[in-house]
Amino acid sequence: MSSSSMMMMMAAGGGGGGGGRGGGGGGGRSWPSTTSVSASGKRIQKEMTELSMDPPPDCSAGPKGDNLYHWVATLFGPPGTPYEGGIFFLDITFPSDYPFKPPKVVFKTRIYHCNVDSAGNVSLDILKDGWSPALTISKVLVALRSIFTNPDAYKPLVPGIAHLYLADRSKHDELAAEWTLRFAR
Amino acid sequence: MEVPVKFKEMMENQSDDDDELEKISEAFICCVCRDLLYKPVVLACGHISCFWCIHKSMSGLHKSSCPICRNQYYHFPYICQKLHLLLLKVYPSAYNRRENQTLEEEKDMGYFSPQIGGPDYQLQPEQKIIKPSNASVPCFSATDSSLNPCSVRAGETPDRIAHVHSGPVHQDIGFGNLLDSRKDTAATSAPIAEDRNSNQIHCGGTCKQASVDDVLCDSCNHLLFRPIVLNCGHAFCICCIVPQTSEMLKCQVCQSPHPGDLPKVCLEFDHFLEEQFPKEYGLRREALQMKHEQFQTESPSTCSSEAGKESFHFSFSSGEEPLPWWNASSKVHIGVGCDSCGMYPIIGDRYRCKDCVEQIGYDLCKDCYTTRSKLPGRFNQQHTSEHKFEIVKSTAMHNIMLRLLRGQLQDVSAVSDALHDTSANVIPSSDNTNEDEENVADATLPSSETEANESENGRLA
Repeated sequence: MSSSSMMMMMAAGGGGGGGGRGGGGGGGRSWPSTTSVSASGKRIQKEMTELSMDPPPDCSAGPKGDNLYHWVATLFGPPGTPYEGGIFFLDITFPSDYPFKPPKVVFKTRIYHCNVDSAGNVSLDILKDGWSPALTISKVLVALRSIFTNPDAYKPLVPGIAHLYLADRSKHDELAAEWTLRFAR
Repeated sequence: MEVPVKFKEMMENQSDDDDELEKISEAFICCVCRDLLYKPVVLACGHISCFWCIHKSMSGLHKSSCPICRNQYYHFPYICQKLHLLLLKVYPSAYNRRENQTLEEEKDMGYFSPQIGGPDYQLQPEQKIIKPSNASVPCFSATDSSLNPCSVRAGETPDRIAHVHSGPVHQDIGFGNLLDSRKDTAATSAPIAEDRNSNQIHCGGTCKQASVDDVLCDSCNHLLFRPIVLNCGHAFCICCIVPQTSEMLKCQVCQSPHPGDLPKVCLEFDHFLEEQFPKEYGLRREALQMKHEQFQTESPSTCSSEAGKESFHFSFSSGEEPLPWWNASSKVHIGVGCDSCGMYPIIGDRYRCKDCVEQIGYDLCKDCYTTRSKLPGRFNQQHTSEHKFEIVKSTAMHNIMLRLLRGQLQDVSAVSDALHDTSANVIPSSDNTNEDEENVADATLPSSETEANESENGRLA
């Protein structure tokens, strides 16, 4: 086994703090590390069909243009939250070894939320170490909807917002509603 | 959201598939590829997935976890032959489609899954009759496929086979060819329509094709009742497996040891049996309840998320606890699996076959090397008992890497500990904010400090 492939694998394991899912096997005489683009494409196609038949509430998702691996999703701010009335656009990028690696989800609409940074990156367990190949985009959307109603202030991406959320909930909600009005309508 | 027209048409065409015709039960849809299970593997937690889907989702670096329940495991089980033959019988055309598709993918990868029914695979005598002429060469042409066990088993006319094999394999294509595949599907729609008629004759009411004879326990020869599938892929009723307290659980058919605790009941399979053969299943339940009054109390709980997380023993006869992979003294062969018991990655001594020519190689862990298990390789290697082995050292380079990684991890944990201390001061006070107004000011002040810490941590990580 070559040392370069080892480096890559160590990086994969180390990035996840030892708990992450490492890559497949290495090269050389080891068990194969196998990814087939067609297999991931088939799976994405299946998900597309399933989403159109049974869409989760208040969201939608589909390919952006000609590329099956780039999707756009929309989430409607759930009623009863400061995000109510907002329409949030997300970019979803599937890796070529999907579903063995999680999709990348980025908020395109600005949002005042402790788990979403200014670049739109989301801190969601199931999109990182907690990913499982049995999860689907539909389940990811449901999870994203749930952080609208219940922000995870103890694992924040923007600690400032998290502190305000814990310290002064009404002020936080006021700001979040203001941002929703400004950016998500 | 508006789905582009092209994809819409694609989605509509999908329903034209033979799958629609056979109404695949949700129980037999693989959770990973979302298609009919192909060469099903049953994990110790009782969840089923395809051979390649499980293999690809395994870690190779440390313990793997079940895609559905995250139950941790080290061993890649053998294909459950009983389920394989059952699916082949119940969904002949969809299973054939999956077979062709997988063969195409395997051809691209250069690695092959075990041929069930081939000379290398362990079989019960009566199944040996229908083996392919050459197991190592995947067959694609119509003539070859008539020798293929799957096609013959499906009980289809040669015409149908010709359609399947001569037609374009439109599943295995990259995105760029999607439009073409749509045309192909349209072009083959006429033969599909013909198949529909022939299917009605051959397998009208498809599921009725399965008989109790297909789903017998390997031990008691009755209908499987609450089936358990061992690491070797053999299926037994829950009551036919007698757990030995002192020794390792051994398969009654192939004598191969089963690593770890008693597996959980394969619930999807169980539900299928109960639905398909309600009368026989009921009789089995009654008979067993009469026989074993204490059965209910003894039966292991069905799968739950925390199933067997702590009580998982993977070491063979030695009985010692496995060392964690990052422990410098443990010998982990990253990305290398044992071809006998399926341990992946191999921990401890690794024995490599010097005579196997396949790119994938043939490796055994220490326990399998000493017991000389007779099970064939995982990826269709032409391994024989005359082959010689050599012991392989876990490379020094890799140990250095491990130590480096370990050092790094310690640094990070020190930082996060420090961070935890500051946040520990903040969070309790902020919890009480509603009662104590003054604390709010206190709580918001350290936030900038923690923020700085946080970003520092981010840089380190």
